Amino acid sequence: MEPMDIVGKSKEDASLPKATMTKIIKEMLPPDVRVARDTQDLLIECCVEFINLISSESNEVCNREEKRTIAPEHVLKALGVLGFGEYIEEVYAAYEQHKIETMQDSLKGGKWSNGAEMTEEEAVAEQQRMFAEARARMNGGAVAPKQPDPDPSLES
Amino acid sequence: MRQARTYSGILSGGISGRTGPHLLPLARIKKIMKKSGDDVKMISGEAPIVFSKACELFIEELTQRSWMVTMRGKRRTLNKEDVTSAVIATDIFDFLLNLVSDTGNSVEAAPLEMDISKSS
Repeated sequence: MEPMDIVGKSKEDASLPKATMTKIIKEMLPPDVRVARDTQDLLIECCVEFINLISSESNEVCNREEKRTIAPEHVLKALGVLGFGEYIEEVYAAYEQHKIETMQDSLKGGKWSNGAEMTEEEAVAEQQRMFAEARARMNGGAVAPKQPDPDPSLES
Repeated sequence: MRQARTYSGILSGGISGRTGPHLLPLARIKKIMKKSGDDVKMISGEAPIVFSKACELFIEELTQRSWMVTMRGKRRTLNKEDVTSAVIATDIFDFLLNLVSDTGNSVEAAPLEMDISKSS
């Protein structure tokens, strides 16, 4: 095997990690089935070509919508245009799932970190809650004295 | 930035210990996206995530179709010709025809190139 095959073909500097790709490939097949080495490489190249294809189309979609940044919606549309419409649902579900997990991570990391829109809302909600608690405490004290003069017989 | 942390989490191998779906490295996907054309626009941080899943589905489909060819040949090792056959047989994989024929397999789907060389 040429060293270039490991690093990545010169025409495409960036390739996809063989280990991850091999895992995905093997999971689709029965355990006793082998995949020839050069075939694994070919599958990876096909995947890179797939990214190229969808990227170009996403870029077009983005242009047509006169946006400056390629967003997930553009990619989903591109998938539909190019005949991969079947993927859209699953891809979208994975994307939503990832958003949820990312939000959980950033909330765990520190509510006061900037970046997540939810954080501000959460902070505001938290503030309201604290005010409400404080108010409740105050109201509780003013309404009626909870403890009347203690009966001397109760004191131990 | 939140997104930077997300990336590093993925690069180190999975968010919050998910072992199920494999996430391909987002930075690499972004690099490939940038090289896909001359005037590629800015890419949102979330776009590579969508790509990661789409790639997974794509590879799964290509693998599965190739495997069906292997089975028909009563073999247990998937080889390049199987992939080539799967590509030829699937319309939406037409964009791969050049790629699979470049690998030196005989491809009936590339007669145009053969004609040109014959006429010269």
